[in-house]
Amino acid sequence: MKKKRLIPIVLLRNGWVVQSKGFHEYKNLGNPFMSVKRLSEWASDELIYLDITRDGEYDLRRDDLRDPNRHDILEIIEDVSKMACMPITFGGRIRTIQDIEKRLFRGADKISINTQALREPSFITNAAKEFGAQCIVVSIDAKLENGKYIVMAEGGKVPTKYEASEWAKIVENYGAGEILINSIDRDGKKSGFEIPLLCSVADAVHIPVIGCGGAGAWEHFGEVFDETRVDAVAAANIFQHVDQSVHLAKKYLYDHNYPVRPPEFFEVS
Amino acid sequence: MTYCKRCVYPQITVNLNLDEDGICSSCRSFEKFEKLTPGYWVERKKRFEKIIKETSQKNTSNYDCIIPVSGGKDSYFQAHKIATEYGLKPLLVTYHGNNYLPEGDYDRDRMRHVFNADHLVFGPSVEVLKKLNRLCFRKMGDMNWHAHCGISTYAIQIAVKFNIPLIIWGEVIWDTAGMFDPEDFVEFSARLRHEHALRGYEWSDLINDPRDPLTEKDLLWAKYPSDEEIIKVGVRGLYIGNFFKWDPNAHTKLVKKLYGWKESKKPFERTYRRMSNLDDRYENGLHDYLKYLKFGYGRASDHASKDIRLGYMNRKTGVEMVKKYDHVIPSDLYYWLNYVGMKEKEFWKIANSFRDPRVWRKNKKGEWEKDNIWDEEK
Repeated sequence: MKKKRLIPIVLLRNGWVVQSKGFHEYKNLGNPFMSVKRLSEWASDELIYLDITRDGEYDLRRDDLRDPNRHDILEIIEDVSKMACMPITFGGRIRTIQDIEKRLFRGADKISINTQALREPSFITNAAKEFGAQCIVVSIDAKLENGKYIVMAEGGKVPTKYEASEWAKIVENYGAGEILINSIDRDGKKSGFEIPLLCSVADAVHIPVIGCGGAGAWEHFGEVFDETRVDAVAAANIFQHVDQSVHLAKKYLYDHNYPVRPPEFFEVS
Repeated sequence: MTYCKRCVYPQITVNLNLDEDGICSSCRSFEKFEKLTPGYWVERKKRFEKIIKETSQKNTSNYDCIIPVSGGKDSYFQAHKIATEYGLKPLLVTYHGNNYLPEGDYDRDRMRHVFNADHLVFGPSVEVLKKLNRLCFRKMGDMNWHAHCGISTYAIQIAVKFNIPLIIWGEVIWDTAGMFDPEDFVEFSARLRHEHALRGYEWSDLINDPRDPLTEKDLLWAKYPSDEEIIKVGVRGLYIGNFFKWDPNAHTKLVKKLYGWKESKKPFERTYRRMSNLDDRYENGLHDYLKYLKFGYGRASDHASKDIRLGYMNRKTGVEMVKKYDHVIPSDLYYWLNYVGMKEKEFWKIANSFRDPRVWRKNKKGEWEKDNIWDEEK
């Protein structure tokens, strides 16, 4: 049986790895790559690394640390990819084919696009032609409004005319290789995933779907595999709250006979 | 420099985040803890009791948990909860960095007299400590790296060696910057230790320095166990502050009354509080002064920010405390120079090199100056 993937997400904002709650509250957790090193040591299947910086400034605001304080996103990607034993999908602030090229050159394996896909859907086609569909993930932020899952743009702030499942079909037709679907309502809530949203998107398309938003216990990952057809589950904050988190989550799923890879540890120097 | 509108933290405060309303992440985290109703605290207490029941139930022949203690008011509060209230058998573990104040010595050694608990006190060779003081001051502008490392390493080594799966820490220290919320139930992690407590430096970065040579054998106590070793024992580090309301002023009163805990007899030079940091003479002194030299704020800003949130002080008084204390050069500078054998001139040369350009500038007379919170008030 095809293995389901468990994917940690790391959010970068102004040079800090952060926790995000409800797309508006941010808490600084640490430098851009140390969390990645740990996620790598816990044998994560993949990593999604999203830059949610608004103004393009990257600064840890101190220079007395052992490791360098990077001010450039491409240097950050390079540091991150050195720490990663797993494939990395990199997203955030990507507007042009050159943006993609630069990120792949610095060590990203896949690229996630959100805003630019909404602005110009043919960008998906162009990117997929240039780099292969397997490289292009379209990220969708959805919010429940009047009983419909509405796709939101501009970092979750502006509603679009699309429903999530409808937009998922469109991006598939434009050539996306994979979809990352995130529930804004569940972001940072720890109350479990938005199962009907994940179902509606996973049932609408043939390409792999990664479900995200709301993980608060290892059982929540199991629920997604039980009740939806998604190929992977992703989460950010929960993996920052306890040590060896991905290992423990994988162990829970593995011990409960979910089709995941066995828990392991890797050595990352 | 911008400052939090509610407490007295400047934006540059280590790991802090100011939100769109100008309120800092530390105040936001505190706000969430404040919003917890008595009912929520009952639930959290139950959650704690479930965890200690699970770990202590099957255990008849080993310690129930480790409590890393300095002997301070928080240590007493932790031991009070675990040993006195829950009747568990903790092993108290202390890292002794040779920086204790006399009152701190008294409080630390009194613990096994007043609690039904065994106490393991570990201290590295003083020669090694002196080298680390000098070396880490030069490398990272902090003589106390050994203390941050010892405190956050030795207890975990002992947990792994003695097969004790539970460590009970005190305050959720990361809330000084507001990294986590109450519902996160954050636990001790190697990443937070490495990245923040140790600033990314490990023992391996500190060996073979030509001026202060150290070997791997000098730093055995600084080696953090591997993930495999930790998972094998199942070691978890819980912060008791996630389960019981954390009020240092109230805790001080409690432990003075019940256990005869003593605060500092004479006031500190850099803060108005007398109940904090008795285990380390530099924490309220020279170590803290270096934080001021780097980032332009010190212990009085930390203590005032906490006391404003707790309602013991208004912001105006807080600003006065910052003005009165943050810039004071502490006299333990000379104690330290004598301890490690360094000339004052060398100290200032190194210390000044750590001034953060985001904070400090030189005026026309060539003196260091910075923005101050009381100017913002005008």
